[in-house]
Amino acid sequence: MGAILNPLYNLVSGVIILFHKLFTPVFGKDSGVTWSLSIVGLVILIRIILIPLFVKQIKSQRALTALQPQMKAIQAKYKDDRQKQSEEMMKLYKEHKTNPLASCFPIIAQAPIFFALFTVLNGIAAKNDQGISAPIARGFLKGEYLDSAAQATFFGAKISQSFLGSTDTTVKIVTVILIFIMSATTFTTQRQLMVKGMPKMDSSNNMMLQQQKIMLYLFPLIFAISGVNFPVGVLIYWSTTNFWTWGQQFYVIKRNPTPGSPAYEELQKKLARKRKEENRNQSGTVIDPTNPELGQNGQEGDVKGQRKQPKKTKKR
Amino acid sequence: MRTFFVAAINFYQKWISPSFPARCKYYPSCSSYAASAISNYGMRGVGMSLWRLVRCNPWSHGGVDYAVKPLNLNVKTIEKTTVGVN
Repeated sequence: MGAILNPLYNLVSGVIILFHKLFTPVFGKDSGVTWSLSIVGLVILIRIILIPLFVKQIKSQRALTALQPQMKAIQAKYKDDRQKQSEEMMKLYKEHKTNPLASCFPIIAQAPIFFALFTVLNGIAAKNDQGISAPIARGFLKGEYLDSAAQATFFGAKISQSFLGSTDTTVKIVTVILIFIMSATTFTTQRQLMVKGMPKMDSSNNMMLQQQKIMLYLFPLIFAISGVNFPVGVLIYWSTTNFWTWGQQFYVIKRNPTPGSPAYEELQKKLARKRKEENRNQSGTVIDPTNPELGQNGQEGDVKGQRKQPKKTKKR
Repeated sequence: MRTFFVAAINFYQKWISPSFPARCKYYPSCSSYAASAISNYGMRGVGMSLWRLVRCNPWSHGGVDYAVKPLNLNVKTIEKTTVGVN
């Protein structure tokens, strides 16, 4: 087991130490800000590494527009048989070597990192039988770094302490706030996707309501149960990664919405409006150099039209 | 043991999975595959399920893949869809 886990500890602690070195000149070696930002840095690095996967998925979603007629044909032919419909759809994707679905990989890939961070931070907070703190060094987090990290705080709470493992009121307050942030970001992300990002479903309004209720109550519960065992540092990691997910999804829904979703309709309307404006500007008055006001308007319209032209063709 | 695994998967399918967007590249999804593999093959099914999770990655093209092949298929499984071909 050590053969698998040690490289993970090295990776996680190595990245944290690197970011720690980067922030030390700014905030100081033992500052809690330095250590907290090092954890945030780890998140950002991992999420940046995962971006290509994300882009790949968006590209295959775009490729789907070409298959739209065949997809419609499948839906029409098997409209009473959901299983057959899904089967044929998957065959179609495979045949054209394009699959819009993400697979669980982006989530599963983060799990070992998360676990390693959990263990590394727990090592800092370890105590011996007499209850005296005896930090365990894991990976590159050893020596003076270990001592410094053991004292590092996030809003007054030691980053290696957890809700259940500490009697400190500050730790309890900070962990509860962080758990609340985790729940809130997850909730907002999912709500955003449901309200704006997913194709409107014809008969399953009921199901959607049910889903929203599930996430309203279930996620805070899951986070509360698991979060009380996690050190503050892990909660920082989790909250940051949630914020990233939310931002990433916001970008995609705005710029590349799923066909059929409310966000897609909004974008189409926006594009249609722009096209209309362009047409009006193009077919509008001839620029009269003697009339400064008219000339300005004409020019503005022209520039606008030219700038948007490539955008328009790309979206199709 | 089998019932425990299958119950866990059912719980996931009923309560956790619906609040996320569909993401599996295969039909049936990895969780349905795992449920049927484990209830039919036991420990071997666990291995099959893990292997399926590995195969369901960003570089795979997905497709139709049953743990237990449907018996009533007298024809060889058609790999390509026949709908919408001109």
